[in-house]
Amino acid sequence: MTDTSQKVHDPENPQRRSFLIGLIAAMGGLISFILGGSGIFYFLSPAWRGKKEDWVEVGPVEGIQEGTPIKLDYVKRKMDGWNVIESPSSVWVILQKGEWVAYDPHCTHLGCPYRWDSAKQAFLCPCHGGVFSKDGKVVSGPPPKPLVRFPVKITGGTIYVLPEGAA
Amino acid sequence: MKTILDWLDERTGWRKVKEVILDRHIPKGVDWRYTLGSVTLFFFILQAVTGILLAMHYSPSPDHAYDSVKYISKEVPMGAFLRGLHKWGATGMVISAFLHLLRVFVMGAYKYPREVTWLSGVILFFFVIGFGFTGYLLPWDQKAFWATTVGAHMVEQVPYLGTALAKIMKGGQDLGAVTLARFYAIHVLVFPALTLLFLAIHLFLVVWHGISAPPERDSSSFDPRDPSWKTRLRARYLELKAQGKSFWPYIIFKDTVAVTIVFFIVLGVAIWKGAELEDLANPTDTTYNPRPEWYFLSVFQLLKYFPGKLEAFAVVLLPLIAVSLLFALPFFDKGPRRHPADRKWLVAAGWMAVLGLIFLTIQGARTPLTNPVGEKNPMVMEGKRLFVELHCQYCHTLHGHGGTVGPVLDEVGVRRNGDWLANHFRNPKKITPGTTMPNFNLLDGEVEALVAYMSSLGGGTFSPKAPGLFEENCATCHKFHGVGEEIATDLTHIASVRDSDYIAAYIKDPLKLNPDAAMQGYTDQLTPEQIQDLANYIYQQGK
Repeated sequence: MTDTSQKVHDPENPQRRSFLIGLIAAMGGLISFILGGSGIFYFLSPAWRGKKEDWVEVGPVEGIQEGTPIKLDYVKRKMDGWNVIESPSSVWVILQKGEWVAYDPHCTHLGCPYRWDSAKQAFLCPCHGGVFSKDGKVVSGPPPKPLVRFPVKITGGTIYVLPEGAA
Repeated sequence: MKTILDWLDERTGWRKVKEVILDRHIPKGVDWRYTLGSVTLFFFILQAVTGILLAMHYSPSPDHAYDSVKYISKEVPMGAFLRGLHKWGATGMVISAFLHLLRVFVMGAYKYPREVTWLSGVILFFFVIGFGFTGYLLPWDQKAFWATTVGAHMVEQVPYLGTALAKIMKGGQDLGAVTLARFYAIHVLVFPALTLLFLAIHLFLVVWHGISAPPERDSSSFDPRDPSWKTRLRARYLELKAQGKSFWPYIIFKDTVAVTIVFFIVLGVAIWKGAELEDLANPTDTTYNPRPEWYFLSVFQLLKYFPGKLEAFAVVLLPLIAVSLLFALPFFDKGPRRHPADRKWLVAAGWMAVLGLIFLTIQGARTPLTNPVGEKNPMVMEGKRLFVELHCQYCHTLHGHGGTVGPVLDEVGVRRNGDWLANHFRNPKKITPGTTMPNFNLLDGEVEALVAYMSSLGGGTFSPKAPGLFEENCATCHKFHGVGEEIATDLTHIASVRDSDYIAAYIKDPLKLNPDAAMQGYTDQLTPEQIQDLANYIYQQGK
């Protein structure tokens, strides 16, 4: 049984006592710093780890008409953490005035897949009636911002896009 | 400030708690040997912290476990370091828990009134072992898989119940997905919860009874025939306690010094050795040498002494006796006499058991490896996996199996060089117009792995210099297609029994693969490229 009635007194001098307390704090602090520091670094690392640029081949330049948007489907093979996943996706590509543009195929309102209406010469979103022009600007409806553009490049007659942040 | 502390004291009674826990006096003579318990407690905290962090990037399924552990080691910042700490922390915890138990045994500290403290401690010790056993299956590498396979077979040796017990342990007939999930749940949920519970009991009792005073030789005052010995013992304890210092900061200082030293040792080993990850678990591999973690080597060694039906004796009966003895200890070694010199026979028997354990562990560690240790190229292994995953054999035939749409791949390593293969995988139609091979959009690492695997098929290519290398270095002892002396093995048909990787490993270090080899290693005379060249040549020409 613990004897708590005993008066707490210290036979040692108070200087030694505070010296020991200082050492305990120093050693404890050092261990906590190493362990806690590396643990926090490990835990927070996703914040600053860069994303690898992952250009995807989406199709040949051949057959694409100037001024007419075309939806190109592709299968993207990518690392998802420790898994390799294959996700089918698509991208709207348009060649306008000699410039290649690629749009994220999701409406900027709530992510619905929009389509191209050649009669109206506009992208129509089936969900809430969002309408985008050929250059991606919002014509009408609820979308808060223009269509998201992906970086696009042409190498040896093949179109590559960099679907950043694409679902 | 004072009002806040007063307010808090009224609501929590922290001053009393502090008095009971921190200001309590520790008997005179408590020295460094008493820090082992705190060191073990520290290891538990270390394992909990590193374990929680590792669990954030771990997937307990055979499909992903290995890759996720590799991801921790290769991709996550500090991941390899934390894995190293967790692995070596486990080793440290086994050692410190064992030494703590040994200290209590030798000093007879389990005696009245601390019997229950001892029992809770023994239970905690088994949790430590259990943590180790469930933990090293988790990376799902070769060691994990085979050591657990052996463990499961040992459980099967239990008379009557063995088969059922092994099935419960594995969650089914085979060691697989269910086993891994079970082990994971037990490792991260069941054991930590139970350990905390028993730790609470253990620590409460340590405070309740006070830390045992060092045993005293003067036994005349502790005559067990005198029925009042318990009262005398208590009086003597209070006397020593009054002479001692307070727990805070004097005893905690010693504990902190010990913990810091041990922490830096583990830290050093974790950085120096790291935590290795062997090849992915492969149930069909017959070339692997299964070895348990070092703290199970004694049992591993014990099995060799009890062949056949006697095995149950080693696996079940001996451990059962050891466990029973540990639990029963405070009930047959009773009375006031605690000093080792007053308990000569028991302490001697205890030391004998410890020496036996150390002997078995050393013998177990020195067991020669039956299977040659062939160095496997991890990229080739990875490529092999991808080859299966991507179903390449739907179209290509390899080793007599597969489709006929694409070319046979048995000799592809000889036909195609690495650049061709890499370009082929990146864009098949570009290299071979009109081919039906689809573009798999492979990642860079995947292309590299597949190239390594394909290049290894057929034994790889050799340069025109290889025959010259053979004549200069090997022909003085080995015969090969009519060239050279027949002092050592004729290598003409070597390819029918060994592949080029094995041959290369043998040229590097023959003793590693064959302890009786008279041949010397050639790492000093030849570059690694030359050795590979030579090995490919011997393999190619030896078919």
